Amino acid sequence: MSRPLSDPRAASAASGSGIGLRLGTLLRTTTFRLGLVQAGVVLAFVVALLGYVYFATAGQLTRDAAVAADQEYAALERAYAEGGIRRLNQEVVERAARQGPFLYMLADANGEIVTGDFRRLPVTPGEAEQRIDFPFERVVGDQVERGRALGRVGRLLGGPILLVARDLGDTAIIVQRITRVLYTVAVLGVALSVASGLLASGQAARRAQALSHTARDVMAGDLSRRAPVRGAGDEFDTLAEDMNAMLDRIERLIQTTRTAGDAIAHDLRSPLTRFKQKLETALEAPPERGADRQALEKAVEEADRILDMFAAVLKLARVESAVNWRLEPVNLTAVARELAEFYEPAAEEIGLSFKADIADDLVLAGEEGLLTQALSNLVENAMKYIPPGGRIELRARRGGEHFIRLSVLDDGPGVPFEERERVTGRFVRLESARSSQGVGLGLALVSAVARLHRGQLELNDGLGDAGNPGLDATLVLPTSDGGVSSRHA
Amino acid sequence: MRVLLVEDDNEMASSLRGSLEQDDHVVDWAADGEDGETRAMTGTYDVIVLDRMLPKKHGTHVVRALRDKGVSTPVLILSALHDEEHRIEGLDAGANDYLGKPFSTRELLARVRALWHGRDPAPQTRLLVGDLDMDLLGRTVHRGGKKIDLQPREFRLLEYLMRHAGQTVTRKMLLENVWDYHFDPQTNVIDVHISRLRSKIDKEYPGTLLHTVRGAGYRLEA
Repeated sequence: MSRPLSDPRAASAASGSGIGLRLGTLLRTTTFRLGLVQAGVVLAFVVALLGYVYFATAGQLTRDAAVAADQEYAALERAYAEGGIRRLNQEVVERAARQGPFLYMLADANGEIVTGDFRRLPVTPGEAEQRIDFPFERVVGDQVERGRALGRVGRLLGGPILLVARDLGDTAIIVQRITRVLYTVAVLGVALSVASGLLASGQAARRAQALSHTARDVMAGDLSRRAPVRGAGDEFDTLAEDMNAMLDRIERLIQTTRTAGDAIAHDLRSPLTRFKQKLETALEAPPERGADRQALEKAVEEADRILDMFAAVLKLARVESAVNWRLEPVNLTAVARELAEFYEPAAEEIGLSFKADIADDLVLAGEEGLLTQALSNLVENAMKYIPPGGRIELRARRGGEHFIRLSVLDDGPGVPFEERERVTGRFVRLESARSSQGVGLGLALVSAVARLHRGQLELNDGLGDAGNPGLDATLVLPTSDGGVSSRHA
Repeated sequence: MRVLLVEDDNEMASSLRGSLEQDDHVVDWAADGEDGETRAMTGTYDVIVLDRMLPKKHGTHVVRALRDKGVSTPVLILSALHDEEHRIEGLDAGANDYLGKPFSTRELLARVRALWHGRDPAPQTRLLVGDLDMDLLGRTVHRGGKKIDLQPREFRLLEYLMRHAGQTVTRKMLLENVWDYHFDPQTNVIDVHISRLRSKIDKEYPGTLLHTVRGAGYRLEA
């Protein structure tokens, strides 16, 4: 017979596993486990402490009673050894009559009581002496006294049974009180430690949950959400701050990408329009003459410009993402000298004087291709913007102990102070350069390359005079053996 | 010569095929890495033009497989990714040249021809183009028996042109091979270097050796 599908056991097992899962989740949370461990440690400590207190107080009182009883027993044993049963009996009677803290009993070999405080033996003595701890009743005057006693019982040589015990009396009460106090303290301590453990773990869990909520909100699309920072400076605050810094960076990158996308769309509009116009002109030419070659060539130029722009944007994006680049030792002296050698003829060709001032042994961890291109962009900028007769100087120097400064200086029109920050952005061309080639990403790339190397691009007045200040574009790059080290660089 | 074109984009492939055929090459086309590798294994091609991102088998893996099996046909990799690391990865795998997209058709044709001529270079100690004579060991250049003084970089530039004598070399090829620069200068730097070289090797001699190929590059030819 096959099992029915709607087996009630299966159903209850399923719902049971649901509850089990929730409990399991709770047990799995780190904070709850830490709470349990804390409670366990406190419990162990309380038990050990109380054990010691008991041993040192109540335990000591009991031990003192046992020792006193033993001494009394030993004295009576000596009396028996000296004077036999008669002497022993006499001694017992005398001592009992003193109403001291001791209880006595003497019985003959058959267990018949000879004399003592009890009417019958509280215990059956064995062959050897033994320690006894027993409740007793005895008649004092017309009252029945109840209590506990601790002592020793044994068979003496020849058979008589001797019992000596100390009435614990007040001691028992004290011990009882101490024990009760200790119980109370133990229960309270454990309850307190469990409660504080749960409280602490609950708090940690809530803070972790707050971070988790932030992450979920961000995942849901709200990039402006930030994790709460309590200002306690603890590890949760550190985590929250790191998380917020990470979100800031992501948001900035997304914003940059969005801006770049808009700018590309905007900047592509005109070359694409011209591209289309040129193609249309070529098509309009009379069929017998074939396509207008010149128009087609212009169209190809426009297409090249569009492709260049895309290539530049892609490169910039890759540099800005700052991943995937392996930084290795780069000899900047060689890079700068080769670039100077590369550009000098072309600069002279257009009537510019070109000077190189390059220090020896400039080495830093970097990406050679990008550093070369950055420096080349600066040189080409200078060549583009300054009029014939101008001066360009390529400098590579140490700037203090931890920096290398790569500069291109000129005596051209320069960049107005208020424009300096803007020109390192994307797609920015100064009005004076609108007509020239280039997609306006040159300085943006230089700036991004500087950031990739934890440095920056500085723009200052260059070699010119007040009317024509010129430009000093300097890449300030920290060397690997020190300099700025920012985690969020 | 016979060119194997491995490219998965149909339009790109047919346009490249047209250009290569116009340049008098016989072109076979494979649309994915596995097919490309199988055809290349026959070893009957002079040059292989291989896209990097291919279905079924990645371009760099195809090159590696070919080299592992001893097929030494020159390979040109085409790729949208042409950062240094990708280029090095391609060349390390055994490719002979690496061209980033977008590229001009002329650039591609010049490189395909250069690959064919440049393959299997027997170790040379002397290059000759017309009466231009380069001694690679002594690092000296003579034309018509007269010594020409060249800067080290000019020497390398001339050496590259002489090794590719008779072919058009583009500015990009010169930038990459002579200077090891992998960006596009916005200025006419290369032209200036060429004109300086020209003034040294051509100016005082009858017969021009260094020709400008309009819209494409340069050609050294007797």
